[in-house]
Amino acid sequence: MEVSISKTIGGRCLVLLIALGSVLGFSFGSAKAADDGYSIRIQVRDQVRSDDGKADNQPLSGVKITVTNANGEIVGVGLTDAEGVVIVSVPSRADYIVSLNEQTLPSGKKLDAKTPAMQNILTDSFVTKTKVVTYFTGGSQTVSQSGFERVAQRISDGIRLGLILAMCSVGLSLIFGTTGLTNFAHGEMVTFGGIATFVFNVTGLTFLGFLSFIPGIRPDGTFHIFWAAPLGIILGGGFGWALNNRIFGPLRRRGVGLVTQMVLTVGLSIALRNFFLSRFEGRTRPFSDFSLQRSWDLGPVNITPRDFVVSSLSLLILVVTALGLRFTRLGKATRAVSDNPDLASATGIDSEKVIRLVWIIGGALAAAGGVFRGLDEQVSFDMGGRLLFLLFAGITLGGLGSAFGALVGGFVVGVMVEVSSLVVPTELKTAPALLVLILVLLLRPQGILGRAQRVG
Amino acid sequence: MDWNLILENSLKGFIGINAVYFAIAALGLNVQFGYTGLLNFGQAGFMACGAYGLGMTAHYFDISFWWGIPLGILFSVVLGLLMGIPTLRLRADYLAIVTIASAEIIRLVVRSVKFKTYFGGSDGINGFSSSFRALGNDFGINEADQYGFWPFKFTGRELWVLIVGWLIVAVFGFVVYKLMKSPWGRVLKAIREDEDAVKSLGKNVYSYKMQSLILGGVIGTVSGMIFALDRGSVQPDNYSRDLTFYILTALVLGGVAKVSGSIVGSMMFWGLFTFMDNFLRQVAKDPVSIGNVTIMKSTQVGQLNFILIGITLILLMVFRPQGMFGNRKEMAFDGR
Repeated sequence: MEVSISKTIGGRCLVLLIALGSVLGFSFGSAKAADDGYSIRIQVRDQVRSDDGKADNQPLSGVKITVTNANGEIVGVGLTDAEGVVIVSVPSRADYIVSLNEQTLPSGKKLDAKTPAMQNILTDSFVTKTKVVTYFTGGSQTVSQSGFERVAQRISDGIRLGLILAMCSVGLSLIFGTTGLTNFAHGEMVTFGGIATFVFNVTGLTFLGFLSFIPGIRPDGTFHIFWAAPLGIILGGGFGWALNNRIFGPLRRRGVGLVTQMVLTVGLSIALRNFFLSRFEGRTRPFSDFSLQRSWDLGPVNITPRDFVVSSLSLLILVVTALGLRFTRLGKATRAVSDNPDLASATGIDSEKVIRLVWIIGGALAAAGGVFRGLDEQVSFDMGGRLLFLLFAGITLGGLGSAFGALVGGFVVGVMVEVSSLVVPTELKTAPALLVLILVLLLRPQGILGRAQRVG
Repeated sequence: MDWNLILENSLKGFIGINAVYFAIAALGLNVQFGYTGLLNFGQAGFMACGAYGLGMTAHYFDISFWWGIPLGILFSVVLGLLMGIPTLRLRADYLAIVTIASAEIIRLVVRSVKFKTYFGGSDGINGFSSSFRALGNDFGINEADQYGFWPFKFTGRELWVLIVGWLIVAVFGFVVYKLMKSPWGRVLKAIREDEDAVKSLGKNVYSYKMQSLILGGVIGTVSGMIFALDRGSVQPDNYSRDLTFYILTALVLGGVAKVSGSIVGSMMFWGLFTFMDNFLRQVAKDPVSIGNVTIMKSTQVGQLNFILIGITLILLMVFRPQGMFGNRKEMAFDGR
């Protein structure tokens, strides 16, 4: 008996993975620029200074950029596009020299002294697969910001990251609360949202090209981000549903231990991440809309309209989620199951139904986080995996299993990570999150909003 | 298709240095996870302690690498305390979260530009294993010579690391086996099954868990040292989250709560991994396509292999959570 059940579950896992593979596999088959190595992204911006000393950046197109390797051989040549960007693929992570041909600058424009025409790129500076080099023309681009301005800018960035983290952690925390499972593949659910949206937005689904009579859908089957993002989020919800329906639900019914399930999520995380890597490749890639924008200058902080929209939408989604949890029947039932599953089923709540809902909503919210993160920092195969530990820090801070705790905790961690980069080097800005994690566990292990439980 | 080459490489992978350091790390993880039920997802952090202990003595303090052994062990004991003190009184999940986070932070710190003078940044530390190799020469194993017979042909340099490595595996295997048969080990297993029951017998559960965490961590540290000595270098990005996950896969492949499980599991892991890698590389010499869709290019072989590792882990958990040699009852603990 047990064997036959195992077979169904195993078969279902495989079916799920194969289905996933075929969906994404086909769409990436036609991905353009299929080089999988490193690249240098060169941007040329013109700075316009207004009388009150505020700076504004405008992209410069048609500027000739040459990239040579350490031996002086030319690796790539390109002209900047309308957004002032040229991307040069390089064969490996090594030292390169980027040079800008000053003759090709629009007349009257001169390179800023801070960004000379020749720039050395050292091996070490490839933190990701893409190294960004920015040239400025016009006035000096680094106005020394006042302390207040730096703090304000960091806080503004932190709020954006915090909102995204809060969104991603709701699912993680609720899945934990309702089923007891710590899902190590949650980061991949975030990536899934980003990549699914990327498929709609950039790669395009050619067979949907006939829909091009609808505004925002182009004949080559690519969708404007306003279409692509909701589609990606819906798929994310479906992915959560599938994971629960095909893998975790049957395992729960079989009474498989939580530790076994947790190790399974580790396997899921490895499989998914490498699947994304093999199909999406190692580079970070932007969505095709809103990738470069002129920023608004709001007193001490600069934010782009994109950032503003992202933040507002995240906030809206979070408020809706919170209200839903607070006031709707299903929301109340979710919190009840999360609080005490046995008591909840005793009062007649269908806990399986609630768990299914939690996986769907959690998956959709994680996907939404992935989309927004992708707008913020571009899409990459491990964009979610890298957030995982911040998500854990957030839900622990807020109280494992509490939905509101996850919202608050995720937000606080996000703000803290960005603000801490004022003090610690940027590359280590996530380290303070660990410190908070440890302090919380020492001082108030139930988290800010959790209720203390007797443990042992 | 060159089956001879595939077979030769797979057999080499089966007993090669990767299997050695995986086996040691898996033994350590087994003490924590298999026997005590502690979810240490940061074994890579402990391994980094060992590797950087060795690397730093040579690179930063400029003294013999032998001093790196106590230094690495000191690092890992401190790390174990840091991970254990806040979490071991709490539910099992907290340890998992803190260990995975700590290992990641260690990697970020050692690869950072800020601490480059101590840890060598993203390039890591190189060239500290010469005195270790010289020791091999003293034992009459000439670095440059070829030893062994088909398929187990190794250079003297490889052979020396392998001999030392498998000796360490044997010693730790024996020690762990004996410890787990001892009253101390029985307390660990009892904690895994029912913490409250052990507590009611008057045992200090917290202290036992801490000892288990640190013992497993120190064993992991030694694994990191062997890894570093073999490569002659320490690279921060080798000690990523995935390393822990692969070791976990090797462990559950062989079987939890069994000494033989950790060792055979690691051998099988690398035997199969090398086999698949070599096999797929030969298949994908030309891109494989169905219709006009490219299924696999040679650059995707590595990733496909890791996807297979993930799927293996999933299927193991569904069908045989106790692994090859494990006892199903010993993987039934809940972690709550």
